[in-house]
Amino acid sequence: MSMVLAVMYREYRIRTTSLTWTFYDLFMPLTYLLLFGIGLDKAFSGGISTQGIVLSYNTFFLAGVLSMASFGIAINTSYGFFVDRDNGIFYEFLTYPMTRGEFLVGKIVFNCVLSIVQTIITISLGAALLGIPLQPERMGLVLIGVVIGTAGWFFFLTTFALRIRRNDMFNTFINVAYFVLMFASSIFYPLDALPSWLKVAAQINPLTWHTDVLRFATVGLGALDVVMIEAAAFGVFMLVSFWFAVRTLQNAILK
Amino acid sequence: MDSMSDAAIGSENLVKVYKEKSSRPVLALDGLTLDVREGEIFGLLGRNGAGKTTFLRIITTLLPPTSGKASVLGLDVTRAALEVRKNICVVLQENAVELYLSVMDNLATFARFHSILRGEIERRAKRVIEQFGLGEHVNQKVIDLSGGLKRRLQVAKVFMVDKPVVFLDEATTGMDPINKRTTIEAIREEARKGRTIFLTTHILQEAEELCDSIAIIDRGQCVAKGDPQTIKSLVANILEVTLTFDPLSEAVLNELRQLDLITFAHRNNTVELCVRGGQVSLLELITKLSREHKVVHFEINSPTLEDAFIELLGRNLHPTEGASV
Ligand SMILES: Nc1ncnc2c1ncn2[C@@H]1O[C@H](COP(=O)(O)OP(=O)(O)OP(=O)(O)O)[C@@H](O)[C@H]1O
Ligand SMILES: [Mg+2]
Repeated sequence: MSMVLAVMYREYRIRTTSLTWTFYDLFMPLTYLLLFGIGLDKAFSGGISTQGIVLSYNTFFLAGVLSMASFGIAINTSYGFFVDRDNGIFYEFLTYPMTRGEFLVGKIVFNCVLSIVQTIITISLGAALLGIPLQPERMGLVLIGVVIGTAGWFFFLTTFALRIRRNDMFNTFINVAYFVLMFASSIFYPLDALPSWLKVAAQINPLTWHTDVLRFATVGLGALDVVMIEAAAFGVFMLVSFWFAVRTLQNAILK
Repeated sequence: MDSMSDAAIGSENLVKVYKEKSSRPVLALDGLTLDVREGEIFGLLGRNGAGKTTFLRIITTLLPPTSGKASVLGLDVTRAALEVRKNICVVLQENAVELYLSVMDNLATFARFHSILRGEIERRAKRVIEQFGLGEHVNQKVIDLSGGLKRRLQVAKVFMVDKPVVFLDEATTGMDPINKRTTIEAIREEARKGRTIFLTTHILQEAEELCDSIAIIDRGQCVAKGDPQTIKSLVANILEVTLTFDPLSEAVLNELRQLDLITFAHRNNTVELCVRGGQVSLLELITKLSREHKVVHFEINSPTLEDAFIELLGRNLHPTEGASV
């Protein structure tokens, strides 16, 4: 436990050296909601209809913003591996008295705390500024969804960050992965209206599972049994990613 | 095996092959067997690419060996990696500092990872900062420090904690002579407290004065081991000679070149050479030379560790390549 705390303390010290970074981490999703959300909310002024319900676009989009934010935190943290490797400190870490698992868990727990704060800011200011209905009784569920999502994406990206040793290659990988995963998912639109090939692609996309669970948690959209299956699938995705990340960290980590 | 588990650090037939997709496999360690006693200062020497860092990476659990065994305090580095890590601290050859944190925060985060309590961290940091002359930089971000200062901080970190075994891979690289001294003194002091120190260095004078025991490796194999005296005696028939003539002529140089030289260099009127063979033939030559030319200074020394190093590893070098005047 003390090792996990030591990793968290270190992450905290590093993050708080840059105000820009802190701002990005905490306010980016809200900014997204304010800019992009407002535009689309006006464009779809009649609201968006799915599964027999009509919602304002912002209400629908809230879960998408939260899942993107989890993904964003995971991206930032996995980029941290490159910075650490350039500083050389990465290899020194691996000689400290902790397991590879503790190292990853410390990083992720810190980031989960960040994503919790970020979510609370986004949801409460989203309610205050955009009138997105606030459902405090569902908050616990939302936070669990956000935390598990952040962890899943972080472990997923860690494996790639450690295997792709070149910063520029990783950059390209992230751009493509982000682009494809984001648009072939339920982040921006309901899946009902999509052509069948895109719908299938979206249905096997963990970002869709994550977004759907958050959408159920934020506004109660979706059938419970489907959401349960998606939640379970994402849980498996997270565990498998963790296993891969730890293995990657154990083997052939030197440049 | 017994000897290996008794030792503070031990390896047996350690082999490491680097297999990179893009190039042919590299045999970095070729059946290396070493043992380091508890409480001693041990120096691993060898030319660039000899395998020193590779050994250090394996023994500090950064890299799995291809075959063979390695242990720290009797703990196997692959099977008990975490236990090994609990007993060591390491200065890697590559720089390893938190560039965006201050000197103080670097020391503090490092100490936290080694479970030093908060109050204790401050006390130790104060001592280490003073010892390594980091006082005026305490609150500076490390990214703004000079290269040598970064290295100093990296080395200072390991003196924040008291693990029984310390590894230093070319720790004094890039340091000025005064800081080198400080580091050497700090290492000595730690050894006196009973810690085992394992270091690599290219500064052989440093190794000679500091190490209780030395191993010289070449292409992943051990070519000599023992205390510095023993290693020097391996090359007992080597002499270091300095001669100053007035003037130094081409004829003298040609005569000297006839000797069985290991190194040979000259500047102004002074010749420095390191020669293999009996003292008698050397003295005969010098007597002859002094009859025909004016010798103003003459000095013979027994071999240094550096001579031994060059003799053991440099046979394939042209004599003058190893020279330094
Ligand atoms: N990651 C790697 N992949 C492939 N080959 C490597 C790798 N690291 C080291 N080598 C090779 O292994 C051999 C031993 O390298 P090593 O770094 O252990 O040498 P060294 O004795 O520490 O040298 P130096 O004095 O220059 O630090 C060299 O031939 C080197 O090129
Ligand atoms: Mg090296």
